[in-house]
Amino acid sequence: MMQFRRIVSTAALGLLVIGMPACKKKEAPAPSADAAAPAPVPAFEVGTIEVGKAVGADKRVTSTGTTFGRRDTIYVSVATEGVAPSKTIAAKWTFQDGQVVDEESRSIAPNGPEVTEFHITKPSRWPAGKYKVEIAVDGATAGSKDFEIK
Amino acid sequence: MPDSKEPKADFSDVEGGSSSTAPSAGQTYTVVPGDSLSKIAKRFYGDAKEWKRIYEANKDAIDNPDLIYPGQTFTIPGA
Repeated sequence: MMQFRRIVSTAALGLLVIGMPACKKKEAPAPSADAAAPAPVPAFEVGTIEVGKAVGADKRVTSTGTTFGRRDTIYVSVATEGVAPSKTIAAKWTFQDGQVVDEESRSIAPNGPEVTEFHITKPSRWPAGKYKVEIAVDGATAGSKDFEIK
Repeated sequence: MPDSKEPKADFSDVEGGSSSTAPSAGQTYTVVPGDSLSKIAKRFYGDAKEWKRIYEANKDAIDNPDLIYPGQTFTIPGA
C-alpha cells in the first residue's frame, strides 16, 4: 500500500512538473498582445528653416543665402518631422521698419518628414534693406531667418 | 533741419504663395492691408473671378464682400 502511495505521488509530481511548462505556454500569448499595440506616433516638430532663391521638387531651398537682389523671388523652406492630423504653419515676412510685407499660412496633415515652402515676389522691385521671416506653428513661434535685399 | 523721415516702403504689390510635400488639411489665409477677395482669389486660384468661392466658405466672417479687414483669417476651399 505504501509503495502504491509512493507511485501515485511520484506520478502526481511528474504530472505537476510536466504541467508547469504547459501553464507557461498558455501565458505566452500575452507578450504578443503587447507587440500588437500601435507604435508610438512621432511627435511633430520643426527642423531646418532655410532661405534662398529657389526650391527643388522636394520643396527644399536649393541654394541657401541671406542676400538677395531687388528682383528676386525669396523662398523659405520649413522641414518638419512627425505625424499630426492638422498643423498650421505660418510665415510672416517683415521689413526693417516693422511693416508686414506678407503673411500666409498653410494647414497640413503631416505624415512623417515633410517640407513646406513659402515664397514672395514683388513685380516692382524690393525696397533695399533688412527683412525677416518668422515661422510659426499653430500660433507658436518656431524660428526665424534674417536676410537682406541689396 | 532736413526731414530725415523717409517715405514708407510700398509692399502693396507683393505676391506670396506656398506649397508643401504634406497633404493639405484645408488652407487658411490671413488678410493683410490692401487685400480684397478678388486679390486673394487671384493668389490661390489664379483667377480673381473665383472670389465667390472664398466668400461662400467664409460667409459667417464676411458681412460685406467688398469690406474685409487685415487680421481676418479665411478658409480657402480646394486651393
